[in-house]
Amino acid sequence: MARQIKQENIRNFSIIAHIDHGKSTLADRILELTGAVSKREMVNQVLDSMDLERERGITIKLNAVSLNYTYQNEEYILNLIDTPGHVDFSYEVSRSLAACEGAILVVDASQGIEAQTLANLYLAMNADLTIIPVINKIDLPNANVPKVKEELMKVLGFKEEEILLCSGKTGEGVSELLEEIIKKVKPPKILNEASLRALIFDSYFDPYKGVVALVKVEEGTLKNKDEILFMATDATYEVTEIGVRTPKEHPLEELKCGDVGYVVAAIKDISSVHVGDTITLKKNPAKEAIQGYKPMKPMVYSGIFPVEPNRYEALKEAFEKLKLNDAALTIEPETSDALGFGFRVGFLGLLHMDIITTRIDREFAIPVIATSPSVVYQVTLTNGEMILVDSPNKLPEAVKIKQIEEPFIYTNIIVPSEYIGPIMELCQNKRGIYKSLEYIDETRVNIHYEIPLSEVVYDFFDKLKSYSKGYASFDYEICGYRVSDLVKMNILLNGEIVDALSIIVHKDFAYQRGRAIVTKLKEVIPRQLFQIPVQASIGSKVIARENISAMKKNVLAKCYGGDITRKRKLLEKQKEGKKRMKMVGNVEVPSEAFLSILSGDEK
Amino acid sequence: MKAVYIHIPFCKSICSYCDFCKVFYYSKWAHQYLVKLKEEILDLYDGEEVKSIYIGGGTPSVITVSELKFLMELLKIFKRSISCEITFECNLEDISKELLTILKQNQVTRLSIGVQSFQVENLKKLGRNHTFKDAFSRIALIRELGFKNINLDLIYAIPGETMKMLKEDIKCFLALKPDHISTYSLMIEPNTLLWINGTRPIKEELDEEMYRYICKSFGKKGYSHYEISNFAKPGYESIHNLTYWNNEEYYGFGLSASGYIEQIRYTNTKNLSKYLQGKYKGTEEILSKKDIMDNEMMLGLRKVKGIDKEKFEKKYQVKMEDVYPIKPLLKNGNLEEKKGYIFIPYEKLYVMNEILLKMI
Repeated sequence: MARQIKQENIRNFSIIAHIDHGKSTLADRILELTGAVSKREMVNQVLDSMDLERERGITIKLNAVSLNYTYQNEEYILNLIDTPGHVDFSYEVSRSLAACEGAILVVDASQGIEAQTLANLYLAMNADLTIIPVINKIDLPNANVPKVKEELMKVLGFKEEEILLCSGKTGEGVSELLEEIIKKVKPPKILNEASLRALIFDSYFDPYKGVVALVKVEEGTLKNKDEILFMATDATYEVTEIGVRTPKEHPLEELKCGDVGYVVAAIKDISSVHVGDTITLKKNPAKEAIQGYKPMKPMVYSGIFPVEPNRYEALKEAFEKLKLNDAALTIEPETSDALGFGFRVGFLGLLHMDIITTRIDREFAIPVIATSPSVVYQVTLTNGEMILVDSPNKLPEAVKIKQIEEPFIYTNIIVPSEYIGPIMELCQNKRGIYKSLEYIDETRVNIHYEIPLSEVVYDFFDKLKSYSKGYASFDYEICGYRVSDLVKMNILLNGEIVDALSIIVHKDFAYQRGRAIVTKLKEVIPRQLFQIPVQASIGSKVIARENISAMKKNVLAKCYGGDITRKRKLLEKQKEGKKRMKMVGNVEVPSEAFLSILSGDEK
Repeated sequence: MKAVYIHIPFCKSICSYCDFCKVFYYSKWAHQYLVKLKEEILDLYDGEEVKSIYIGGGTPSVITVSELKFLMELLKIFKRSISCEITFECNLEDISKELLTILKQNQVTRLSIGVQSFQVENLKKLGRNHTFKDAFSRIALIRELGFKNINLDLIYAIPGETMKMLKEDIKCFLALKPDHISTYSLMIEPNTLLWINGTRPIKEELDEEMYRYICKSFGKKGYSHYEISNFAKPGYESIHNLTYWNNEEYYGFGLSASGYIEQIRYTNTKNLSKYLQGKYKGTEEILSKKDIMDNEMMLGLRKVKGIDKEKFEKKYQVKMEDVYPIKPLLKNGNLEEKKGYIFIPYEKLYVMNEILLKMI
């Protein structure tokens, strides 16, 4: 089935926004207005198809949809490419932006510019996109359009007449927005005669079709049955189906230059389809791949163990299934003395980790224990060799280490100016290196620090919220490795080292971290029949200690008029509580204890 | 031989901690209630000899003389063993010569008095009101009328209670020379006034210290600590309560009463109007052999003496250690064995659930 729409009437665009600024709701209105989804079919936030996405108001996996729109008697195709706004997925965002010619920058009329607005905007500007600034949620009672307008003009340099106003909720201004896209966003460059180059900006696994790659054809034409070549992996496949998503999959005979659509080629393994890779034709390959491809690299690693040891195989299967749809996930087996058999899993970031562990619990019903996440350290040994260490337990002995480098991030922290003091204090406490500070307007600033990623993995988010009373927004990018004075700290329960609780810390902060962790563990580990010492140590030196005193009372003293069933129920309930516990040596440790050491209050 | 529990759900005032099934006393209901109670007994009781009858509440002592006489007539339905223990629960303020005389005439052998405490602050929290002087004179009256077996209930670990207050209470209790004492660490249960007011329980350490003090003090005065919460002068162990701890069968009659007959544990309806319509049944659960054995352990280990291994084997046709990890628990000191009895070490009795959880 061929479509009759002219190539110059294609518009490829994205929507970028800070979390909760109404991106998905706006996308819903656009879908409704273009008739892609009828009102009846409309589940709020169609593009966010996972329950988890709807619940958290975030987009985890991106989606793309082709929409038809008639403007001044001309038929247009509007390809909306949704992006996951979160920093964990910034590489994926950059690739989907690379497939666009334009981006709608959505800013909440009551919130103004936030950290993610800027981070995503910079990505869009790097990709040379036409940017249409939109102030959303103008229907809100506390909307302050003039103020947000001024921010957009002053900070980002937009002209007043460029800025559109709309409400994703009521639909006001949405058709004007679509017309603006048609008028201002450039059509894709048309290079029909060149060799095929199609950019993969996302992929997912379909149980019937195999891997489905979402692509934008940058040059040439892709036809059904073509033999294709993935340029980064050098793998070849025969196309079994191509088409567009409307948002239902709609097969076509060809995708022409400028089109955004999907490609199926009986590919079983998602890890052979890399986001950012270029598809070309085997018989007439392009000379060069599209620029910007990077293999995905996990940023944080955590040990994931089944609470019940006999669920190891089930957990393995769950990971295999999740991996079908998530090329960024890396998994290898890991063994812990404390937790038994499990996996060392690499994630793009903390949100990614949270999503995966939640899905394992919800979709596969396997209770898991996640250990404190670790960043990847570059360790230079005394013999000159450099190794990568993603787990405290893989850190060689101190005497064999020449130096350790850790990843640093560069921050955008946007806060009202009265919080500059507290935020700088926080960053300083997190081993931050001050870079610069910019005023967004008279009342708000953007603070730039370089901070070790490991501190962000620890409790930076929570602290940021409390130090700014919830007003700070935060985004970051990795800015390189720096040498740090790091040591491995062990935690001992009842005198035994619990390998799953070991962490790598900065020497100067080890004492307070140790204190915080033992205090926290004292809180979360329930009393047992005997007293349990909890210690933090570096090498053989104990730096902090607490005792969990022995349980004093656990019995129903009274018998209620012979109501034995009730006593029994209480016992059953207590037994149920034990199921969340993991025996570590002879100590029962609740599964959440392993992650709780992240949220200790340092005193 | 079975035991019998009869529930009288009426009270003149509602105590802040009580989550038993109770209603304000109302004479029309009380009369109807007793009529239905009779029906229920006639319906279920199979005529076999019983070894104990326990009349609890509520406050059985709030009913009128004529109601009481009616209730006493009901007791005659039961074929009672020679040494049948008949307990009647009462409040101090209801005790009168008239009440006691009727009870005595009807072979009530044992009085259980809900004293709970004598400390003014405690009583205020519990929603009770009586003095040591009251208790002293009424108990003298009880003795005068020839009752040989008196139980006093003691509640401790009341929010705000100090060791000093508890010591005061223990002195008072001992001065009254009861034959049996039941002690309960206060539990703040849902649907009680304490719960609704958001009362917090006292610290575990203090609770335990109080328990140990109680055990020590009563022990010194010749009371044997035969079950976690119960103390008795030699020969005064409650036949009725032991029925529960020995996992033996008993009838439960009346609103919300629980019973255990032929592998079924049941609890009657807690809805008074249903009960008054003769719809006694509430919930019931048919127990498997494993359930029954689990109960045997859960209940039997409450006794300081523990469980007779041989009896267990005879009763269930299986060795205790083949069902439960007795050996490892003996090895790590969570159980002990003496003269064929398996028991929880005395100092660990107060955390017995923790040990049961390793078994059941």
